[in-house]
Amino acid sequence: MSGQVPAAPKAGNPPAAPAQIADMPLEVIGQPGVPFVEIETLRAREFIPAAKEALSSLLKEQAEGKLIRPVFNWAGRNSLFPLHWGLACCAIEFAAAFGARWDAERFGVVPRSSPRQCDLLIVNGTVTWKVAHKLITLYEQMPEPKWAIAMGNCATGGGPFRTAYSVVPGVDKLIPVDVYIAGCPPRPENMLDGILRLEQLIKERGA
Amino acid sequence: MKRDELAASLTARFGDRILGVDAFPGLLGRVRFDSTIALELFRAFRDDLKFVHLTMVGATDWVDHREVFYVLWSDADLVYVLLSTNLPPDAPTIASAVPIWPSANAHEREAWDLVGVRFEGHPDLRRIFMPEGYAYHPLLRSFKIHEPEDLEVKVRSD
Repeated sequence: MSGQVPAAPKAGNPPAAPAQIADMPLEVIGQPGVPFVEIETLRAREFIPAAKEALSSLLKEQAEGKLIRPVFNWAGRNSLFPLHWGLACCAIEFAAAFGARWDAERFGVVPRSSPRQCDLLIVNGTVTWKVAHKLITLYEQMPEPKWAIAMGNCATGGGPFRTAYSVVPGVDKLIPVDVYIAGCPPRPENMLDGILRLEQLIKERGA
Repeated sequence: MKRDELAASLTARFGDRILGVDAFPGLLGRVRFDSTIALELFRAFRDDLKFVHLTMVGATDWVDHREVFYVLWSDADLVYVLLSTNLPPDAPTIASAVPIWPSANAHEREAWDLVGVRFEGHPDLRRIFMPEGYAYHPLLRSFKIHEPEDLEVKVRSD
């Protein structure tokens, strides 16, 4: 059958597009004008060519940045993995936000223990100059793309310890911060609002 | 042990290097001593008077001098005693108590970090609260509070 035009469908039947795709040469598949394939209508021997077509078109759009980037954006902003740096009372509110009552995991936010698994650094507490270089190390260990939230007044601007000799007046002196959450400490709702605002930010700005 | 007994035994041994044994609320007394006899006095308190535990070491900046004080606890007599000495502000140096009581280690690092008292013979006299390379001793009266915008960002990079 190879090299021959397949037989025309019999009268009364719908045109069988998958059968035509299965017999096309591979370089034709993925070119503009090739019809989209409903995967449920495929027979077994037509599946691999159709999958090749879908993959090649995906790769083409990825090279143009049309498809993969929005998909990553959507997936990334809905599954933020925070690295929480609990230094003070804000860490208690952070823990409460992941408890049964507020359940932050319904937004896809799952705290991890290693910076290499995280894309969101949540600094909750008072950062002193003594540990400042540890914060920078942790931030640099996180893979791109990454974001940072300064939770509470201390992380935002030093809080009541702003003029103290030992306290960093705001972690934005050390790392880039995307969202600031006010409060001393912020309520868990407040923290969830900050996470949702960060998701909005990622949606608008891109990953 | 009573306070006058303590004063008599210390004066018999150290003479006028003991500047006074004062009453102090809640403690057996406050022993003011000359800083040159620090190590001998510490050894006498630990070995002869059985003050086996050093509770804390602290320092205060009184502008014209710096006071270093030690709080000792005796398991035999169940009393605290306070040792106190004054150091000149231009050369605040005293012998370290770490060879006598190892628990002095962190306390003396704190006193060095915040008040700037040097402890001779300390095995590891580094800063304990502030980062290495910090230029000031923040609990000195001469320390000026910075505006946050004036702070130079000094972060040690490993």
